[in-house]
Amino acid sequence: MSPAMRIGLPFAVVAIVLVAWEIAVRASHTQGLVPLPSGVVHSALALTEDGTLFSALGSSLERVVIGFAIAAAIGIPIGLAIGTVPVLDRTLRPVLDGLRGVAPIAWIPMAILWLGVRGDAALFVVAYAAVFPFILNTSEAARRIPRSLFHAAESLGAGRLLLIRSVVLPGALPFVFTGARIAMAFAWGSIIAAELAIGIKVQTARRAVAGIGQLMVDTLYVRRDVDALVLYMIVIGIVSFLIDSGLRRAQARLMPWTQR
Amino acid sequence: MDAAMSKPIIRLDAVSKTFQAPRGGGMVEALREISLDVRPGEFLSIIGPSGCGKSTLLSLVAGFLSPSAGEILFEGKPITGPAPERGVMFQDYALFPWRTVIGNIEFGPFARGVGRRARRDKAGELAELVGLKGFEDRYPHELSGGMRQRCALARLLANEPKVWLMDEPLAAVDLQTRIILQDELLRLWGDGVESADRPTVVFVTHGIDEAVLLADRVVVLARRPGRIKAVIDIDLPRPRAPLRSVPEVARIVDQLWSVIRDEAAMAIAEEGN
Repeated sequence: MSPAMRIGLPFAVVAIVLVAWEIAVRASHTQGLVPLPSGVVHSALALTEDGTLFSALGSSLERVVIGFAIAAAIGIPIGLAIGTVPVLDRTLRPVLDGLRGVAPIAWIPMAILWLGVRGDAALFVVAYAAVFPFILNTSEAARRIPRSLFHAAESLGAGRLLLIRSVVLPGALPFVFTGARIAMAFAWGSIIAAELAIGIKVQTARRAVAGIGQLMVDTLYVRRDVDALVLYMIVIGIVSFLIDSGLRRAQARLMPWTQR
Repeated sequence: MDAAMSKPIIRLDAVSKTFQAPRGGGMVEALREISLDVRPGEFLSIIGPSGCGKSTLLSLVAGFLSPSAGEILFEGKPITGPAPERGVMFQDYALFPWRTVIGNIEFGPFARGVGRRARRDKAGELAELVGLKGFEDRYPHELSGGMRQRCALARLLANEPKVWLMDEPLAAVDLQTRIILQDELLRLWGDGVESADRPTVVFVTHGIDEAVLLADRVVVLARRPGRIKAVIDIDLPRPRAPLRSVPEVARIVDQLWSVIRDEAAMAIAEEGN
């Protein structure tokens, strides 16, 4: 297969499917329930032009980034502690496993009760969802560092502090990064869920803080615009992909020794 | 120079070590009443069948483990933990994967607070000395097994330890590489150069021929529990590298083999169970 064919063929397949889709929806009575490809493009242009899409995306991303940072700040130290101190592992693990069983979404009513609908509730849910991958991967990472590396460092003259800085941290880092990627996926997934659940009120009261999820609620109940809904789903997928590939690239840059 | 008259640099006095076997097993007696003096500047090899506790013995001298009974002295003082005066080489290299060759070599001086410029210069010299010139910025996973062990050796040398503790350092490399590294090791230790400040080597191996070729004395351990079965002086002249194909070496290897054959056979029989 020539390079042009290899790149061109998937595009051609997608194009054919989209055209067939468009014809099928127009020929049937499903308009308003099933999106039209042309309608999605139209929505994309309209919502980009009036700024709705980017402002919603911006406020969702802001919450994700802050929630993710909070999760990292809490999860990494806890993970290191339980990964290196067996007693802490034995006492804290059952508690953590129990908490982990409570889905982030289940916290939304409590979060609204404590923090209100402004967006802090969504932030709480995001941080909660993201903290567990950090804890689990960091603790596993710390446990997996070969004993001989500690022995080598000690016999070369490293004290306790240097062991943490020069063996535990760099040794755990690749796994922590894997945890970060999972945490980011959870954070991005739960921000949408949280915003959907917190819903429409905020959207009308304070437009500026409405995220993608809230925009979807509005689109569903108020505007009834199925094309825009699909557009948001596509945007969510693209953003998620971009974040993950960004993190992967950062890992390659920061940890050249993990590249094989 | 009369080595036998000088004070031991390491003294093991009736050292025993018992472990709690994993997963609820009983107590395992790894070493029983090991008494041994290591003379300053000598090259001592420890051999024995698998499971005889030779690595445990080395870990005790390194300070990674403490004895269940008895005492280990370094220059007359009890060993309380690992220290840079007793450098260690590991069978699995134990290089830091996140540090380059230079980064690994300079770790010792770095840990002891030597300034950046000085430790970099020293690490560069050592990289050249062990034959890693041109590989200074590579990561361990980019190196062959032999090169990794060269790097580990340079890392040990950077601290100028009085004692080199080597735990089967050449077991994981191929035969040709092993022969070359044996010669390099002897050269870096100071084979054939009588010098008062030559480091002391404790070299654990399961290769009898390797032990004979390298060592001044070979300690043979028996297993379950690990005890000293024999200590044999190797009266071969130095430098040793040219003696590799001399019949005398083969004769001593044969003699040693007859000492440990029964133990080795028992080890194989037990492992088969």
